[in-house]
Amino acid sequence: MTIEDTTHTPGRIEPEVASLTNLVSTPILVLASLSLAAILLAVVLIRRQRSRSAGNSLLLVGPPDSGKTAILSTLAYQRTLPSYTSLQTNAAVITLPGSSAKALRVVDIPGHPRIRGQFREYLSDARALAFVVDASTVSRNGAVVAEHLHHILHALTSLPPSQSPPKLLILAHKADLLKSNTSSSVSTELAVSRVKVILERELEKRRLSQVGNVGIEGLGEEGEKSDTGGLVCNGPAAGSFKFEEWEGGEVCFAGTWLAAGRPESGVDEKEGLDGLDGLREWLTQVAR
Amino acid sequence: MLDLCSISHKGGIVLWSRSFTPDASQIASSSASPVNSLIREALIEGRTAEEKFEKDGYAVKWTFVNDLELIFVVAYQRILQLTYVDDLLAALKTLFIKLFEPFLATFVASLHAMNSGKVVTAPAGNNTASWNFAKAFEGWDKVFDKLLKGLEDKAAQERKSRFRPTVHAPLADPSPPSDDLSTIPSESSVVAQDEQQIARNVQALKNRLRGRGGRRGGRGIARIDSGSGRDSMPSSDTESVKRKTNTKTQRKWGHEAPTESDMASLDFSFDKGDSGTDAPLSQDALSLVDKASLGTRTRDGMYEVKDWEFGSGDGETNDVISRALQPNGGVAKQASSSLGALSSLFARLTGSKVLTEQDLKPVLEGMKQHLMKKNVAMEIADKVCEGVGESLVGKKVGGFQTTNAAVRLALSSSLTRILTPKTSTDLLLSIRTKLSSALTSSQQRVPYSITFVGVNGVGKSTNLSKVCFWLMQNGLRVLIAACDTFRSGAVEQLRVHVRNLSKIAAESATDNGTRVELYERGYGKDAAGIAKQAISYAQENNFDVVLIDTAGRMQDNEPLMRALAKLVGVNNPDKIIFVGEALVGNEAVDQLTKFDRALRDFSSASAGKSRGIDGMLVTKWDTVDDKVGAALSMTYVTGQPIIFVGCGETYTDLRQLRVANVVRAILSE
Repeated sequence: MTIEDTTHTPGRIEPEVASLTNLVSTPILVLASLSLAAILLAVVLIRRQRSRSAGNSLLLVGPPDSGKTAILSTLAYQRTLPSYTSLQTNAAVITLPGSSAKALRVVDIPGHPRIRGQFREYLSDARALAFVVDASTVSRNGAVVAEHLHHILHALTSLPPSQSPPKLLILAHKADLLKSNTSSSVSTELAVSRVKVILERELEKRRLSQVGNVGIEGLGEEGEKSDTGGLVCNGPAAGSFKFEEWEGGEVCFAGTWLAAGRPESGVDEKEGLDGLDGLREWLTQVAR
Repeated sequence: MLDLCSISHKGGIVLWSRSFTPDASQIASSSASPVNSLIREALIEGRTAEEKFEKDGYAVKWTFVNDLELIFVVAYQRILQLTYVDDLLAALKTLFIKLFEPFLATFVASLHAMNSGKVVTAPAGNNTASWNFAKAFEGWDKVFDKLLKGLEDKAAQERKSRFRPTVHAPLADPSPPSDDLSTIPSESSVVAQDEQQIARNVQALKNRLRGRGGRRGGRGIARIDSGSGRDSMPSSDTESVKRKTNTKTQRKWGHEAPTESDMASLDFSFDKGDSGTDAPLSQDALSLVDKASLGTRTRDGMYEVKDWEFGSGDGETNDVISRALQPNGGVAKQASSSLGALSSLFARLTGSKVLTEQDLKPVLEGMKQHLMKKNVAMEIADKVCEGVGESLVGKKVGGFQTTNAAVRLALSSSLTRILTPKTSTDLLLSIRTKLSSALTSSQQRVPYSITFVGVNGVGKSTNLSKVCFWLMQNGLRVLIAACDTFRSGAVEQLRVHVRNLSKIAAESATDNGTRVELYERGYGKDAAGIAKQAISYAQENNFDVVLIDTAGRMQDNEPLMRALAKLVGVNNPDKIIFVGEALVGNEAVDQLTKFDRALRDFSSASAGKSRGIDGMLVTKWDTVDDKVGAALSMTYVTGQPIIFVGCGETYTDLRQLRVANVVRAILSE
């Protein structure tokens, strides 16, 4: 045994490695990891909430044959395509004109009474809602249009308070089909005023028929919400229904028109020749 | 012959359309277009399983492509019977998709943008970011024209070939015998029989005449025969020639009927089977027929010549058309299922499984049985499931969604669509609108009248009194007209109800004046007359609503249905409510169709506008707990909404229908 271990010192010396776990005691470690998890969760929730409260869609609703699909095709494809009655919803993403150039999703929901209830599924994501009315025939079927609008207003007023309600615009479309005596150009103000007057009158009739009504309960569990309501006004009690005084929010009006797309025209429609400027202005205002 | 052809997306946008008459093109761009009527009345209501749709003199046929969400529609005049429309639709479908699939895929994707999707961009190859639909479909017009022409010509050929055999049968075919046994005419043997008979008779006559003539000498015959011209001379010649058989054979001039032996020798229809001439003959026959140009044999066994191939200049389109029209070519080949279930599972997970009819059939069958267990009428369950199947064939299911779940979802949305009313069911609103739109004060306002019709024993009088109670609660003055003049005790029953309701009204309300009254004229009188008098009484005494109670009647009792239609026609009530019970099963379909049709047919004569059923009241709802399929059958048959539901026997047992609850009850296990 001549070889002497130089390392062999009397009394074994273990190599000392300063471990982290010894520096910090376990309770502090647990606390640190918990707080990190809480911070992460908070960040995720805040981000999700921010995206939820600010929806990013424009909903096009309205009675059948009012021109919703034509508006969507003009906004998305820059040309007015001819269309039949829609069977299902269309959703397209467009960029708004102007400096902001934000992307907006436009959803066109069919207006047929049997399938128009689908708008409730898209309401949670809606930033703006445009109710499209055919201004040339509204004097004839005002009651049907008012019924549809009533459903929309009722849905808007019964949104949960955590969600910011979408802005409402009532679009008096097909303004070029109205014959105006004064000027030869298309008058959108006439369309807007006519639609406003007729809708206020019909909605007032609906409100009166529901005030003090003993309705029939719906079949089903007790406590289910009824379909009526939503037409409460803030104004003087004796006054009739007015859009300015509606408690659900602000209602804007605009008049628009589009050149009708003919199915067999081989000629390309010139771009830019549409009357959707009212809609576009309002959209840029809302998107700000 | 067609009027309108169009290809559109289910979301409404028209991709291509062609009208063949100026009238059609004018209608096509308006909202009264036959395609619009088809969508509004048949497709949205879920009647997609029916063969065709007729409206305004147009017959409309359609087909779907479910994975690209397209609808192909062809409209033509109803009086025409066009046989090629189904083939045209199928060929249009395959050709259009084959030619334009990438463009269509981007187009459909752009219409289903998700929230985080990109902005709508044009398909690849287009720099200016604008969609040019006219250019995308530019070759399509020519292809369509060719296809239509081809189908019309084939139809014309078929019509002509149907006439050809009857023209050719009597003529003997002198061509060499063909190899096909089917060209043997089957009628010649019958003709030959008669001709043999005729020949024998003629021969017998001639012998008798010759015998007689021979006694009188040849001159007589010659004189008789000379009257018939030159041809008579040979007959005497033949007499003389017959004796000298070796020198000359008889000359046949063809003016007499052929004898049996003649016909046997002249008969080339049958294959004589001479072995000697067989081999060279068959070789010649083979060289005569070019196997490559043989046409096709139709299902009836008729041989059709091959279609003429068009020139090389249009070769490409014709290749496409011919390939598409063949049964094997042109159809999108689905993934081969050599691995069976495993491959379909992989396909589903990667999101590319396409639903086929075989996949759907067992699931739909199960759904149909389920619906029938819930008391939906058998025909209605059948039609609803067929409609759901048609809308799902060819659709892609992805992720972990099984076929069962996809069918259930589609069925639930279809049921919701059928049950959701398309007109307003707010009775109070309509009443108030009518009452407030009164004419000048000198004229009294016309009351709102509601008629209750139905078969015996469904609960018309009970539910009429429930409706009356509800109207009285809302402050309206109601007059009940007892137009059931047949059943004993009907008037007394209503009198008891009116007494009860007046008592209730007197206890609760503070208004003076009677709220409800009964108008009755006893038994045995004419119901229509009583109703008319009741309405005029109500008008004079300022009643708001008139409720007309009629006698129950079976739907196939024609004189009673006529009487009901007369009541409706004479009085023109504002609402005709059909009362039906929830216990009814398959009978519901029969009752409603016959009532609706009888009212429409018989009441149009007097009133000028035919009225049908405007709404329904389903009674005895509390006796069925979740077997509520009768509601579905009734709304499917008429298309009208269910206004009220009666669920008990006291005055407050009247409810409104909640569509979501009914759908949930029907689909629950």
